[in-house]
Amino acid sequence: MKLLLAILCLSISSAYAQYPDGKEILKKIDQNLSSDNRIFTSKMIIHGRRTSRTIESKTWTAGEKKSFTEYLFPAREQGTKMLKLDDQLWIYSPSTDRTIQIAGHMLRQSVMGSDLSYEDLMEDNRLLNHYNAVVTGAENVAGRPCWVVKLTAFDPNMAYQGLKLWVDKERNIPLKEEMYAKSGTLLKRSELSNVENINGRWYPKKIVFKDMLKDGEGTEFIIGNIQFNAAIPEYVFSKANLKK
Amino acid sequence: MIRFLFKGLIRDKHRSLLPLIVVALGVMLTVVFHSWLTGVISDSIEYNARFTTGHVKVMTMAYADNLDQMPNDLALLNADSLTVALKKQFPGMEWVERIHFAGLVDVPDRSGETRAQGNTIGFGIDLFTPGSAEIDRMNIRKSVVEGRLPKQNGEILISNELASDMKLKPGDTISLISSTMYGEMAIYNFTVAGTVVFGTSFLDRGTIIADIADVRQALNMEGASGEILGLSQKGYFDKNEATEIAAAFNRNYNKPADEFSPVMKTLMEQNNLGALVDYSSVILTVLVAVFLLAMSIVLWNAGLLGGLRRYGEFGMRLAIGEEKGHVYKTMIYESLLIGTFGSLAGVALGMVFAWYFQHYGLNLKGMMQNATIIMPTVFKARITPVTWFIGFIPGILSTLIGTMLSGIGIYKRQTAQLFKELEA
Amino acid sequence: MLMAFKLALRNLIGAGLRTWLNVIVLSFAFVVIIWHKGILDGWDRQARTDMISWEAGGGQYWQQNYDPYDPFTISDSHAPVTGTLQNMVGHGTLTPILITQGTIYPSGRMLSVLIKGIDPAQKILAIPSAMLDTASGDIPAIIGTSMAASSKLKTGDHVTLRWRDRNGAFDATEIRIAGIFKTNVPTVDGSQIWLPLSKLQQMMLMPGEATILVCKQRNESFPAAAGWKVKDLDFLLADMNNIIKSKTAGGMVLWGILMMLALLAIFDTQVLAIFRRQKEIGMYVAMGMTRRQVVALFTTEGAMHAVLATLLGAVYGIPLLALQAIRGISFPVSGSDYGISMAERLYPHYGIRLIIMTILIVMIATTIVSYWPARKIARMKPTDALRGKIQ
Repeated sequence: MKLLLAILCLSISSAYAQYPDGKEILKKIDQNLSSDNRIFTSKMIIHGRRTSRTIESKTWTAGEKKSFTEYLFPAREQGTKMLKLDDQLWIYSPSTDRTIQIAGHMLRQSVMGSDLSYEDLMEDNRLLNHYNAVVTGAENVAGRPCWVVKLTAFDPNMAYQGLKLWVDKERNIPLKEEMYAKSGTLLKRSELSNVENINGRWYPKKIVFKDMLKDGEGTEFIIGNIQFNAAIPEYVFSKANLKK
Repeated sequence: MIRFLFKGLIRDKHRSLLPLIVVALGVMLTVVFHSWLTGVISDSIEYNARFTTGHVKVMTMAYADNLDQMPNDLALLNADSLTVALKKQFPGMEWVERIHFAGLVDVPDRSGETRAQGNTIGFGIDLFTPGSAEIDRMNIRKSVVEGRLPKQNGEILISNELASDMKLKPGDTISLISSTMYGEMAIYNFTVAGTVVFGTSFLDRGTIIADIADVRQALNMEGASGEILGLSQKGYFDKNEATEIAAAFNRNYNKPADEFSPVMKTLMEQNNLGALVDYSSVILTVLVAVFLLAMSIVLWNAGLLGGLRRYGEFGMRLAIGEEKGHVYKTMIYESLLIGTFGSLAGVALGMVFAWYFQHYGLNLKGMMQNATIIMPTVFKARITPVTWFIGFIPGILSTLIGTMLSGIGIYKRQTAQLFKELEA
Repeated sequence: MLMAFKLALRNLIGAGLRTWLNVIVLSFAFVVIIWHKGILDGWDRQARTDMISWEAGGGQYWQQNYDPYDPFTISDSHAPVTGTLQNMVGHGTLTPILITQGTIYPSGRMLSVLIKGIDPAQKILAIPSAMLDTASGDIPAIIGTSMAASSKLKTGDHVTLRWRDRNGAFDATEIRIAGIFKTNVPTVDGSQIWLPLSKLQQMMLMPGEATILVCKQRNESFPAAAGWKVKDLDFLLADMNNIIKSKTAGGMVLWGILMMLALLAIFDTQVLAIFRRQKEIGMYVAMGMTRRQVVALFTTEGAMHAVLATLLGAVYGIPLLALQAIRGISFPVSGSDYGISMAERLYPHYGIRLIIMTILIVMIATTIVSYWPARKIARMKPTDALRGKIQ
């Protein structure tokens, strides 16, 4: 099966010989977006049916499996912390002084009414580790020339088995992403903007997510400060840290 | 004359006692039958009204559209002031705010980490305001099987089944995990005051009952509530009253263009209870009519018998010169007296039973799982204004007709023959 | 005894109107009780039949994790059908159903649904699965009328279905509503869609797997199968049985009141008869009947009301009730709104046992009320009775 896929990829890539290699592009994207670890503050604006609301948080991540988030705003959420290790998620709420374990199925639920699931939000998957990629064309997005890259997951556990990225030719970051179901139905679309150069890497500081099957205005995700490859002590990703 | 007859009735037990007992028993049965049938037929309707639909219910239009999802993000924001306005404008109804919510119950171990979790559906109701009828309305007092009613904020009741699944006891702490009106994650601690069994597995599978003030705090719903229920002061669903109030309210408050404007729905517009209401009233009418007919025949017969047994006496009275018309008249008066007193006694007696059945009900076990409609297991009678006078129809009228018919015998027979019956 | 019987009958008929009024009332009680119980039994039979034919079959096997009341168990409630169970499926005595969760998006709204995969060729359940057997390439689905109403979907509509396969990967596709079925059983209708089993197994990456298996006949013994729990009909129909029981219990009180009404009439008649016919009683005793015989005579007379009431009740009751049993009673209330099985047209069922039992109970009750006042006779002195002295 893998061989077949490889042959298929090869034959397609030879057909698009004038385009760069998909894997190379993924590698470059990962170099920009992924890191061994990172610390960032973010603001999420959720457009609900009735009101829009903003949630601010600070997140520490290391690798693909560990993530720790502390909520800063609104006041009600302040001090709430989340720890994700592999498939397990714990939430600490300061008002109740409780550490609550969230079962696996909850990871797939929307975060606070947004168009993002906990999985979407807390996972930092290197594309190269899960997807094959083929460049299928070139288009402009927001006035910038982009490669259109089609990604197909070889890892059956990926939530989105198909991705389509519009990758900035010069800066090697996606400016638009589409997430597809296995059968090819478009599920979500995100638009990435406010690209900044941080310590030599390009990073989009604003992402707008939209669930394409559902009516609604989508969710904005805006990154404030971001630090790559900082020294994060191991205790950050421990349950003891939740109560601190 | 009435006094004379009255004395006669009292002194001659044979003339009065048995007919009186028969009339009283008959009327009593009628009263009990009517209240029981009314109660049983409307019980599922009232049960639904008390727990979910109210006789009328105010929600936002958007909330009403997604009712089964308990969408508190679409709740009435100004519910407090709206309730005040409703109380002022429609004093014939009792208005209560409720928050219906879904979530998870999380039980901590000693170190505060999750030990067990279960799904729950919660009711936020007014538990603590003095004079709040909610506890009785939802029959909570009698549903407590372990522990006690909540006494202060932060205390809740929880389904016995859920509690035993999660090994919870009164005094234990649980956390409710749900989402606030704004979609944030809500985590809130409660103390279990007691466990409850409602007898309907729809509720017994995993219900928690908390004070609405606590729920507001937990779900960040200050001043807001999902639903405002209106329950008629009459104690039962009155179709016309509810329809009128809903129409008046919607004229003033409902703006079809704004999906968050409030809308009032009567019980008949919720859970498809409308057809059931109409159907019940037809059934009630038919069954009561059949029963009245049967009871009328019985009491008519009793009147007939009462007259027959006194033919001898009439013979004597005619012999000593009383006119037939006079005998007949006194007989009618007597039957009226018996009918009236019998009916009064019957209504009084019947009301005692009806009242008992109305208050305590009869526990006829039979639970329903998997029901979207809530069914009672304790059957209760219901006394309506009709119950008070329905017994008089057979009680007085039938006794009278029976007596009139048997009295015809006085005219048909010769005095001598009647006199002979005295001998007999 | 025969003489007592004949005599009683003659006395009774002789009393004319009074007797017939009592008989009419008693026959009312009779007919209403039988009618009411007949409706409940009819409902019970219909509901059981519907539940069996639409959902329960002759019993079911549940994958051991399956708990229909806990949605979180569903993603773990599937297993391959192997061994004995597979043979039974092959013989057509079992049909597998795979249950998973998904979301449909009818016109931009989000609706969580249970997706149930059923074999289009199955004959065990009344679900019209044959409608799923289409040659065209798209995925056919059938839904019940109440699901159709809440999702606003019509036959021929296409709607997006999104689900996650066994690995958690999102998948979505258009499905075509191939048909809408009408059922009295709400538990196969609300918030669920039915797809062809093989298609759903393919979609979920669960080839050959199922969540529940429905048996064809009511089995006395279910072959045990590791990893599967047997759920017999008593378990599956427990809800239904409880509702009927509770309805019957509520009805019992009404029957009681109705009976008391009729018995009151007979009691009254008996008291009067014994009062007015003292001379007659004295005569019987004087002529050599024992008091017990006289008591028997009067009791028989009273009890005879029940016999006459049975006859009278039969005269108008049989055509009336038979008509309803054939034509059915139309219910304006659809039971599916209440989560219970209730047909819109109900056919009362009058079992022989029900009728005989009712007759027996009425007879016995009537005899008791007739005997009660008649006991007084036994205490009478015949001489006084003859002169009509005792009152």
